[in-house]
Amino acid sequence: MSNVAKRQTSGLDKVLRVALYVCLLAMATVYLAPFIVMLLTSLKDVEEIRSGTLLSLPGSIDFSAWSKAWSGACTGSQCEGMAPYFMNSFKIVIPAVAISTLLGAINGYVISHWKFRGSDFFFAALLVGCFIPFQVILLPMARTLGWLGIANTTTGLVLVHVVYGVAFTTLFFRNFYQSIPGELIKAARLDGAGFFTIFYRIILPVSTPIIVVTVIWQFTQIWNDFLFGVAFSGFDTQPVTVALNNLVNTSFGGKEYNVDMAAAIIAALPTLLVYVLAGKYFVRGLTAGAVKG
Amino acid sequence: MANLVIENVKKRYGQTEILKGINISIEAGEFLILVGPSGCGKSTLMNSIAGLEDVSEGRILIDDDDVTYSSPKDRDIAMVFQSYALYPNMTVAENISFGLEMRKVPKDEREAEVQRVADMLQIGHLLKRKPAQLSGGQRQRVAMGRALARRPKMYLFDEPLSNLDAKLRVEMRTEIKKLHQKLGTTIVYVTHDQIEAMTLADRIAVMKDGEVQQLGTPQEIYDNPTNLFVAGFMGSPAMNFVPAKVVEQNGAFALELQASKPTIVPFSDQESLKPYLGKEILLGLRPEMITEPQPHKEGAAFVVTADIDVEVTEPMGADTMVLTRISEAEVNCRCNPVYPTKAGETIAMMLDTSKAVAFDKDTGERIDQ
Repeated sequence: MSNVAKRQTSGLDKVLRVALYVCLLAMATVYLAPFIVMLLTSLKDVEEIRSGTLLSLPGSIDFSAWSKAWSGACTGSQCEGMAPYFMNSFKIVIPAVAISTLLGAINGYVISHWKFRGSDFFFAALLVGCFIPFQVILLPMARTLGWLGIANTTTGLVLVHVVYGVAFTTLFFRNFYQSIPGELIKAARLDGAGFFTIFYRIILPVSTPIIVVTVIWQFTQIWNDFLFGVAFSGFDTQPVTVALNNLVNTSFGGKEYNVDMAAAIIAALPTLLVYVLAGKYFVRGLTAGAVKG
Repeated sequence: MANLVIENVKKRYGQTEILKGINISIEAGEFLILVGPSGCGKSTLMNSIAGLEDVSEGRILIDDDDVTYSSPKDRDIAMVFQSYALYPNMTVAENISFGLEMRKVPKDEREAEVQRVADMLQIGHLLKRKPAQLSGGQRQRVAMGRALARRPKMYLFDEPLSNLDAKLRVEMRTEIKKLHQKLGTTIVYVTHDQIEAMTLADRIAVMKDGEVQQLGTPQEIYDNPTNLFVAGFMGSPAMNFVPAKVVEQNGAFALELQASKPTIVPFSDQESLKPYLGKEILLGLRPEMITEPQPHKEGAAFVVTADIDVEVTEPMGADTMVLTRISEAEVNCRCNPVYPTKAGETIAMMLDTSKAVAFDKDTGERIDQ
């Protein structure tokens, strides 16, 4: 009897499992379809695109659209492709991510383990920063940057991203450090370590998961940012997202969809790469609980 | 080695007073245990000695230096925590030498010191492991090793054994005692386990509600508790508290109990009973003072034989605990296992009141001396 019952449930299980995979596959297709179309289109030549075969494989693989998008396409009056703006983005993203992550780590360390009078209020106030819409601060920020003399510069953009990012990074680190037992800090203080020594020698070495999460989060946010980029960048400090917009909006005669698609993929490559390389840490870090000592 | 003086230390968090004026003073090399129920302020006091929490009032002196406002690292003390608080990213050897490194001890000296401590605690084979790869007992040893390596003036232990299982706890208890005998350093030790307190301490401070109820040697605390709380807290099973009426018999004050039948027992401190004549007091009687009739004590002063009704018996091997009821109070008696005791029977027992103590029924304070 028990055997029969088992076989029946396992039959039902199988059906459910198949249904599950069908659902997952359908979802994945929906998600991936635009990217596949982009990729296919970027490998076709303009003639083939005009024939309207959106989903068919390219007749011959042609990388000329990629090289044009990288170094020859016109973004407004300039025709140097995406390359210089790609570099601009890195010049903004790397310092902004590094500084906001470091500040977030120190803030989180202080708020969770060196509580001072009003530190809870300070943390709550910082959290509000996570909920302020970007558009609200455009004008005040423009005034501030002008007053500081760093309007339209890479430094200015880095500052904007750091200021906006610190609220998130602090939240991440604070929640993570909350799970580190306070006795660890006490023990280190008795051992003679000071504020920064404890941070550097004891706290940072166990922070890898949350550092990875924060770096991915900040990298994606800042790389993909368009609004701040378009509002606060100068002519030669535009990030890649703004350049992509300009490239797509600039046309001489016919629209070169293959170049547009290639440029869009180029603009998205770094974030894709970060996820592929560190994605598993991202999931792990988000769910990371107590540090067992 | 250092003496420790705590003078009128108070600690307030807003309106609530956690420590209400603590006065403790111990000699260099003494083993002081702070014991009390949860929330009595013993951990707060410990943190204040370590400098991890500021006191609101009073002074703390280590080795005759006023350290009330010194930072933890300048007090030259080491602490073992309940959670061990080992640095998870460092190996055992690095954990032990971290304090030395912070004090800028040269590398070869540090290595020698790690080796010395590892030999003393028999953890030499663990030096390259991380804390996560150790068992509870091993972590405990490493935590002690970290404290030992610095050779501080004083050690603080904050409930170091409460995360261990019962067997290991007894083993480590003995080891801590051996270690103290070998090093002779001053130790302050917090626990809520009164057996740990009795077995380890040179002196015990029994705390309740932010006040020291009594400071004394384990034997003093056991034999001469100052009030009902201390008497009930120390000792296992706890002291019996029997309501007794003060009566006058043959020109002396005595106490009337209700065992199986009304029984009159003598009491040594006559003067203290005088004001209570005709009133009830609480007689404190340790279980080992109520035993089977012992021929060699027959006829001694303060020894009375009385019949009691056995309610429950609990054989423990070495003794049999007999639970009975005297004057409506539950009473534990400690009997020789060969003495026939059976629930529901009435048997003869010997009450020895030579070490009995008396408490005021309302205030709970000791009335005799």
